[in-house]
Amino acid sequence: MNPANEIHKKLTEGEFREEAAMLFDNGNPLMLMFCVDEREIGGGFTVYAVFSLKGEDLFMVLSFPVTEKSGRFAYKSITPLVPAAHWYEREIRDMFGIEPLGHPDPRPLVLHGMYPDNLHPLRRDVTVEQIRSRIDLEREDNYNFVKVEGEGVCEIPVGPVHAGIIEPGHFRFSAVGESIYFLDPRLFYTHKGVEKHFERIGFERGAALAERVSGCSSFAHSTAYCLAVERMAGVEIPEKAKAIRTLLLELERIYNHIGDIGNMCAGTGFAVGYQSGALIKEKLMRLNASLTGSRYLRGVNALGGVSRDVLEKADEILFTLDEVTTEYKDFMELLTGSVSHMERLDGAGVLSMDIARKLGATGIAARGSGINQDMRTVHKHLMYDSVVFEAHSRGKGDVLARMMVRADEAECSFSIIESILKEPYPGPLAAGIKGFPALSSALGYVEGPRGSVFYFVKTNDKGEPLRVKVRSASFCNWPLMPFAVRGNIIPDFPLVNKSFNLSYSGSDM
Amino acid sequence: MFTRIFNNIIGKKKALRAGELKLTRSDLEFAEGMRRKMHSVFGRSARIRQVDAGSCNACEWECTAMGNPVYDSQRFGVDFVASPRHADIILVTGPVSLGMVLALKKTYLATPGPKLVIACGDCSKDGGIYRGSYAVTDGAAEIVPVDSYIPGCPPTPRDILAGISRTIDAFIK
Repeated sequence: MNPANEIHKKLTEGEFREEAAMLFDNGNPLMLMFCVDEREIGGGFTVYAVFSLKGEDLFMVLSFPVTEKSGRFAYKSITPLVPAAHWYEREIRDMFGIEPLGHPDPRPLVLHGMYPDNLHPLRRDVTVEQIRSRIDLEREDNYNFVKVEGEGVCEIPVGPVHAGIIEPGHFRFSAVGESIYFLDPRLFYTHKGVEKHFERIGFERGAALAERVSGCSSFAHSTAYCLAVERMAGVEIPEKAKAIRTLLLELERIYNHIGDIGNMCAGTGFAVGYQSGALIKEKLMRLNASLTGSRYLRGVNALGGVSRDVLEKADEILFTLDEVTTEYKDFMELLTGSVSHMERLDGAGVLSMDIARKLGATGIAARGSGINQDMRTVHKHLMYDSVVFEAHSRGKGDVLARMMVRADEAECSFSIIESILKEPYPGPLAAGIKGFPALSSALGYVEGPRGSVFYFVKTNDKGEPLRVKVRSASFCNWPLMPFAVRGNIIPDFPLVNKSFNLSYSGSDM
Repeated sequence: MFTRIFNNIIGKKKALRAGELKLTRSDLEFAEGMRRKMHSVFGRSARIRQVDAGSCNACEWECTAMGNPVYDSQRFGVDFVASPRHADIILVTGPVSLGMVLALKKTYLATPGPKLVIACGDCSKDGGIYRGSYAVTDGAAEIVPVDSYIPGCPPTPRDILAGISRTIDAFIK
């Protein structure tokens, strides 16, 4: 049994290619693509692709079994037809050893040099001990960076340990003078084997692990995970749990957005703006701590509902938000009134709508480039079907557009929270989950602060996790970065980077 | 206003009034003790090189928050630096993912002695929730000699400051 808004189609390889290309060309975005090792339940390796149907609350889940050809698993890559699939296919190659024939990029994505060749961690018969025994920490990572040649081209390697307090990742700039001609990022330094770990620890502990996939989207990740498992188990969560989850998702969005707008000031050297943003963020973090005991809203989500009645403190939420709204208005006036700041933002790091659409941008990155796609309006989950709000987008695709989308959304979140707190929600905090059905699957999704967060869970014949696929917004948006920074000067890279504010841990997992 | 700034400079009082930020008395005492300690041990300041070794980024955001006007760790002389060559303390976060082992070792070797290593957050102690995964080690102590741990997932900025303070106490003894 699949949830009502998922249409599953089992196809052959050829049909899959055609259908995927047709859906993508008609403007239905690719939400995620992954592989499941179904050998223990009488199948083989199956590749899934999930498209969101335009304007409808429906997901088209296409799948096909990968056939073995002379001892190796391979299929014809769909990246030439569906460019948004490029990172997913490289990920599948690393983690399952399935070759996408004709993929334009033959380099590994997730696994660095220390991992053994021909051992693919997400295959079910590969054990942790096996991988550990074959890891060679001394082996060098011979990543084939794109080389730009010509007169005056200067190569600048940066990372993985950066100058500030930032997550690790390596960037290889090819600069001509001060302008960036090409940027080749090498990420996945923080790969922690989360997906395999989900399979080992079982569904109950999974919520805690989901919270730690990406720190500042803790609540979005745990909600998406819980929704996936609940949808799979066919459990309807109580109204009160829905209200609390929606409220906390919006609180997470506000603190991230205001913090991000403030952080952009660090990119332009506007210290007053930076500290003002940090101060408002700190207030919101303290509100989080007072409501849930955790500044990152951890420990609230549980399978079946929530563990804490946050609504008891409605007065405190309203009081703090009232204060923050006033401060936030002054803060935005300060920023928009500062010419030197706004001038740097305007026209920097332009991401064209065409590239954003082709590469499957999500969240702020997409909405800054004129693609008005928001999971909250397209696939209404939790309380989003009853609260009235609009998804915001700007067309210019530059740093300023991304900042303004954040500003609009933060204001919108204030009103969503207020409208949630107006209603009373009697009833229990959580519904019981009696068990996990065998051979079932479901998608879970939310719109997190950075964009859509997806989880896919599938059980084996004993009702244990067979596959937990995690897809954070950052995974979709990282490949956009090289396009957005092209032609900008190197000192603007931190600014452009901050305007996307992507999580390394969320994409590396 | 001008008098207030002037008094601050002369009296080395905190730039912000306690009432505005709901600081408690113990916060203020803690802050004063911290400032004294920094001066007695490091002359003026302890510089930190923070290394994210596979953390989920919550610890990073808390380290960043240490610099905001509420905690303002710079007033104690605690500040984050870009180069390990300038650092007295290495603050490791995360369970040390295999991808970061080499970078962490290199950062440690590049830091001049005497140096302190602090493992920040639950997962840097023993892998935390990621323990048992194929892609992480069993904590920072497997890679570099760790002087002290700061528990919490993530520890709050105040916890981190207190942890640094405790580490320095132990160092004096």
